[in-house]
Amino acid sequence: MIAIQKNNTINLARLQSLIALVTLCAIIAILSDKFLTMDNGWNVLRQIAVNVCISVGMTLIVLTAGIDLSVGSVLALCGAITAGLLKNGIKMPSADLFIGFTILGALLAGIIAGALLGWFNGFVITKFKVPPFVATLAMLTIARGLTMLWTQGHPISNLGPAFSVIGTGWFLGIPVPVWIAGMVVLIASFITRQTRLGRYIYAIGGNENAAILSGISINKVKLIVYSIAGALAAVGGIMVTSRLDSAQPNAGTGYELDAIAAVVIGGTSLSGGKGSIGGTVMGAVIIGVLNNGLVLLNVSPFWQQVVKGAVILIAVIIDKGGKKK
Amino acid sequence: MTRKIVKYLLLVLVIGLLAYNSVYIKKLSEVQTKEQTAFDAASFAEKLWVTKLPATLDSAVTLDVLRSTIKTNPGYAFDTWFNSMSIGNVRYGLVKLTGKVLAVNEDDITVLAGSAADPLTVKITTEYVYGNAIRDASRLLDIRDFVNTTDLNNVSEELNKLVRKRVLPAFKEQVRKSDSITCTGAIELNRAHIERSRMNGLSDLEIIPVQCKIIQQ
Repeated sequence: MIAIQKNNTINLARLQSLIALVTLCAIIAILSDKFLTMDNGWNVLRQIAVNVCISVGMTLIVLTAGIDLSVGSVLALCGAITAGLLKNGIKMPSADLFIGFTILGALLAGIIAGALLGWFNGFVITKFKVPPFVATLAMLTIARGLTMLWTQGHPISNLGPAFSVIGTGWFLGIPVPVWIAGMVVLIASFITRQTRLGRYIYAIGGNENAAILSGISINKVKLIVYSIAGALAAVGGIMVTSRLDSAQPNAGTGYELDAIAAVVIGGTSLSGGKGSIGGTVMGAVIIGVLNNGLVLLNVSPFWQQVVKGAVILIAVIIDKGGKKK
Repeated sequence: MTRKIVKYLLLVLVIGLLAYNSVYIKKLSEVQTKEQTAFDAASFAEKLWVTKLPATLDSAVTLDVLRSTIKTNPGYAFDTWFNSMSIGNVRYGLVKLTGKVLAVNEDDITVLAGSAADPLTVKITTEYVYGNAIRDASRLLDIRDFVNTTDLNNVSEELNKLVRKRVLPAFKEQVRKSDSITCTGAIELNRAHIERSRMNGLSDLEIIPVQCKIIQQ
């Protein structure tokens, strides 16, 4: 009975997001003839792909009742690490040694760096009991500073056509970033629905004390979750770097807010334990469509921020209203 | 126990394979030698500046001819004297003018060119020389001669540097209001605005100089 009720609540939340998305699309389509074109559709999907990757990681964290404010900076740092290693390799003059990186090597290095930064977030949170908000806020600044140090404040550009495929290429008529985001969503959905780790994540967010008493190693789960989120931020960073053919030191600024917005709009509870990857994808699509629509309608960038903030606020209010019932 | 060993062996194999395909190791000295023999945009631009550019500047269309042709046959003017190495409506051409300096500003000088019957005010940039205007206007490069766009763009930057170093400092130091000058440089024209140019003539012209001289009275 409880399970059926829970399923109904999740379905209702999804339905609300879907209705919001359809209404949004209808309004923008009426106001702009460019919205419902194939080119614009692919463009929106390509832009959403990065936010989807980050938001999926953020969902896992929020499900454990945590938050990660550092994803934007981690994205920038990992993009810069990937670009730097690919372009310049590692030079060791004292040993007359040059370690060059293939695209695979640079990608792996970037993703591993992201996972390590995420792991460090998790370590600080679990070992020193620092609130996730504070720990990841510190990482936001650290990672941004490291990006500036790594790039010396300059973009790392001209990474080659093969690397550009990740951000700008097509495969079977669909943009490569959309394939990557799709795979991330599938794997994350599988983890949250079908694996023990997924059940632990929901259990920790639902009631941490009960999870401890059930014998769940909450520190281990949190470390894994923050590492996954870091790795996914790195994937986003690689996609952004590839699309621009350049690693920008200030890339990813404010991306954490878009990710949190996608998670909240998608119906994931900020207090943890409730939510789904599917909902987050829906939230990311709504944010992406909203961004695109506001640009197509020539809305001033200042107003765009106001509108986005208002949409997040409305989503949270609706979410709270649903819970009261 | 055996299963565990096989598991770890497989893991090591996968990691080994990934590592093998991820990095390559070379002698740093070899890599640096190779980097040094890579395309040298500065030398290329210098050679272009000394050997080929003077003749091209001499054959630049005069502003008066360009203006009259724009009025009668803008398409011909656009296709004959303007060039671009990238896609889009914007092209660059070399133009030669003679005129009187009306004002010496911080970033440019204002010059009155054209005939007494049909005068035209133009600006000659003296501070910000950037972009591909000079490279494209010169028509001296073929995109197929370059293995990548970075090299091509670096030539642009080196040509701009030469203007900033060799042309502008001396000219800016000497030029005064009311001086008569002759100048050859690059201007930008947009195909989308060419009809407007035909109707109204060339207006708001900004010249990126390549050669500027003060005519001694």
